[in-house]
Amino acid sequence: MTGRHAMGSSPNGDKLPAGEPLLSARDVVQEFVVRERGGTKAGVVQAVSGISFDVMQGETLGVVGETGSGKSTLARAILQAPRPKSGSVVFRGADLTKLSGSRLLQARRHMQFVFQDPFGSLDPKWQVRSIVEEPLVAYRTSNRAGRRKRVDELLDLVGLDPARYAKRHPRELSGGQAQRVAIARALALSPSLIICDEAVSSLDVLIQAQVLNLFEKLRGELGLSYLFIAHDLALVKQVSDRVAVMYLGKLCEVGPGESVYREPLHPYTRALLDSIPSTEPGARRASATIKGEPPSPINPPSGCRFRTRCPRATDKCALEEPMPKEMAPGHLVACHFPLSEPAPVGAASASADTTTGAPIRSVLARGTTPGAPVRGRPPEPP
Amino acid sequence: MSQSLLEVEDLRVGFAVGGRELRAVDGITFSVNPGNTLAIIGESGSGKTVSCRAIMGLLPAGTSINGSARLRGSELIGLSDSELRRYRGSDMAMVFQDPARSLNPTMKIGVQITEAITTHRKVGKAEAQTQAVELLRLVRIPAAERRFHEYPHQLSGGMRQRVMIAMALACRPKLLIADEATTALDVTTQVQIMELLLELQSELEMALILISHDLGLAASYADEVIVMYAGKIVEQAPAAALFGRGGSVRMRYTRALLDAIPHMERAAHSALPVVGGRPPDMTALPVGCSFAPRCGSAADDCLAKAPALTEHAPGHKWACWHPCENGVHP
Amino acid sequence: MAAPLPEAAFVAAGPPPPLPSLVSSRKLRTQRLGRTLRLWIPAGLLLALLALCFVWPLVYHIPSSTNGNIINADAPPLSPGAWLGTDQNGVDEFSQLVYGGQVSFEVFIAVTAIGMVLGSCIGIIAGYFGGWVDAVLSRVLDILIAFPALVLALAIAEGLGPSEFHVILAISVFSIPAFGRVTRGATLVLRELPFMVAARLAGARRWRIILRHIVPNILPGILTFSLLGIGIVIILEGALDFLGYGVPPPTATIGAMIANGQQTMTVTPEYVLIPSIFLLLVVVSVNMLGDALRERWGVQ
Repeated sequence: MTGRHAMGSSPNGDKLPAGEPLLSARDVVQEFVVRERGGTKAGVVQAVSGISFDVMQGETLGVVGETGSGKSTLARAILQAPRPKSGSVVFRGADLTKLSGSRLLQARRHMQFVFQDPFGSLDPKWQVRSIVEEPLVAYRTSNRAGRRKRVDELLDLVGLDPARYAKRHPRELSGGQAQRVAIARALALSPSLIICDEAVSSLDVLIQAQVLNLFEKLRGELGLSYLFIAHDLALVKQVSDRVAVMYLGKLCEVGPGESVYREPLHPYTRALLDSIPSTEPGARRASATIKGEPPSPINPPSGCRFRTRCPRATDKCALEEPMPKEMAPGHLVACHFPLSEPAPVGAASASADTTTGAPIRSVLARGTTPGAPVRGRPPEPP
Repeated sequence: MSQSLLEVEDLRVGFAVGGRELRAVDGITFSVNPGNTLAIIGESGSGKTVSCRAIMGLLPAGTSINGSARLRGSELIGLSDSELRRYRGSDMAMVFQDPARSLNPTMKIGVQITEAITTHRKVGKAEAQTQAVELLRLVRIPAAERRFHEYPHQLSGGMRQRVMIAMALACRPKLLIADEATTALDVTTQVQIMELLLELQSELEMALILISHDLGLAASYADEVIVMYAGKIVEQAPAAALFGRGGSVRMRYTRALLDAIPHMERAAHSALPVVGGRPPDMTALPVGCSFAPRCGSAADDCLAKAPALTEHAPGHKWACWHPCENGVHP
Repeated sequence: MAAPLPEAAFVAAGPPPPLPSLVSSRKLRTQRLGRTLRLWIPAGLLLALLALCFVWPLVYHIPSSTNGNIINADAPPLSPGAWLGTDQNGVDEFSQLVYGGQVSFEVFIAVTAIGMVLGSCIGIIAGYFGGWVDAVLSRVLDILIAFPALVLALAIAEGLGPSEFHVILAISVFSIPAFGRVTRGATLVLRELPFMVAARLAGARRWRIILRHIVPNILPGILTFSLLGIGIVIILEGALDFLGYGVPPPTATIGAMIANGQQTMTVTPEYVLIPSIFLLLVVVSVNMLGDALRERWGVQ
């Protein structure tokens, strides 16, 4: 298959021309068949309907969406597990959708994945050492001694003492430790890009913070790029440079994190932000500026998919699907009436948006944030 | 005579697990007044769910429960299942996290609600059905008559949770316990459900206990907040005292929780203040403060003796030998 | 079982004083005792029976199981020289039991082994590869299952002549698809678990995934399944011998003993009771062992 690769090779193994994105997805579409009980085909769900985005080298792109948004399906589609129905996924210059077999394995080698369920992603019968070693074995990167050494390095990197953890089984680990093992495995082949699919969502709050800090540390030390998928907006903002918001298989808004959060352009982003209960003193209680229930993904609304719940929807929204437009540098939104413009005539509740502008701005207006300096003992593995 | 609806005193719950003993709840005391909302905050293993299940009598046989829990003066601990059944549904009810698992997938939801009604009240089937449709309307499910005949899988997560709430409210309980009821829901749905709960609370003069790990939820919706760690209450105060203007969080664990939550106002890529270690092994709790092994400010007295929960400021209790000063890390 | 937290060193030296126990330690002890007993009693019984059949004759001399002196016929149990008596032909009951037991154990071990190996291979391949491979193999399994084992055994015995080997063959036709379906189902479930996806993403080859991921994870399930299915195999084998289509006489078999004893059941019930009790003990101990292992390994 492949010859030996230098251990610990830098993520920029093959040089990428400056300015060219690390990952470039264009018009990715993924479908799957929905079956009734008993197996009869009930319909086809287009979980991802033409998503395009770029991830640049060294950057973290956060993808936010709720249930049914298609964000996890998108992550799998990028990995070609399973292959998307259509569209292109260019990673380090190679279009993964056109490769298969060993060529796909080679091209995908620098892209790794961390799952949501820390225990589900580890074989319960294997030792930690074997788990982390598996990619090295599969790609035949070095001999046994070399692999051992690399595994120990990786465990150290994620904060697990090899002497104590290498021989354990997943059931002897806590959630946070198991996720660290999964991360160590993901780092084994020195990837350039790590896709995190709700990687911290099932961890306790304090442990979650530790794992997030680990991600940041690895980002700094190894120059990693991340595609960070989550439903928790504050979490995504914490870790991302740019943020993309998905709804029912479509991209609503994408732009620099600060812009998207302080001046959201899409009504859905606005509604998401309004729904977050905040611990800030005096913050307005979260309110539902969004109405109704999420529509069925089998039969999405015509035109703009968000229109059935949008306070600014008009007839145009039902007839014509909005295409992403750049409203501010690097900030794209797919909406006929983005929030930067006044409410359209004929909107369902034109007064809605005058109140939606308040919460975040009022929080910001208070000035200094009660942040706490980093204190305490150095982090230990949870 | 106090006017509390629910008074819990020194509740202790222990399990036998794989041959060892696990003390899930270690002496907690709190009360809830009618029409008020109490939030019980804690991570997994803190004992928040176990304590409420003990009150409701939903723990497996063989669990050791001691202490007292009085609902309107009547003692609940020590009652048999059939005795407790009189209280469940009519005086107190519980809504759980995963509606998909709490609802029977093979029964129409209307039937399930009707069952909930007829279990406690002697009404005819037709009357029960009318009441069921009323309940569906009460929880703001649109087209209630049509939904009555649908199966759970035809509803979204938020809808199913509303159905669960409808079933819990079938007999107008005075106390509703929501155990991570919105954790599995999208944040936009969570807001709708919480608004519903608050409306119902004021309409029915219900007391509400919110069990969650989400401090934001407590800050937004609770009147009083209890923070639990390793089976004990470590901080207890009105929400305004903790989160309001001029409010402060004192116990180090609560502070750690607050700091560890990603806040929108933080800059991207900023390091989160971390607390090392893991939740303690509940079968072998250390002497002294349970949080001390992980606390950045632990001193010798913290390790030697467990601090008792005492009221250091009006209405605000905490269990910490070296609490935070006015909510800010010293 | 959990290693002490490193932070425990932080705590003041010495073990914590025992807190007043909420759960009676007596109850904890009985819980643990119960689990241990449920495993070791059936295991012990099974081992004892195996030792009886295979080890005893090597160590002690027992009378022949096939030839008997008609003079000694119908000796009751506990007669001198014949612990369990002799049957109508003077053949020693005890030795018939021992050697018949050997045949039973040999058959069920062989059938289980064949089923486990062949059946699991088919099931895993069908479950993992899916598609037309699965379709074809599933049909093969369906066909095998459709054969009523007893009738097939009769046919084989008629055609090829009765022998222990043919009995094994006939019953395997039943055990192969049984294992096949169970392993196929387990493989289908396992295949979609995140760690399997992770293994594929890590670039592992298919065969490696099957051998190192799937097999270790279904093994406990297969083992408990085999134990629970042994009862059926034993009874089947006994039935075949009873009908005369199994291992041919004069070899002693449990089934033949029962057939023999059935003729004089009202007068000398012990000829039927003794082999039946033996069968009962084997089946019960194997089932209980299967249940205890299932409890221990947490297999569904």
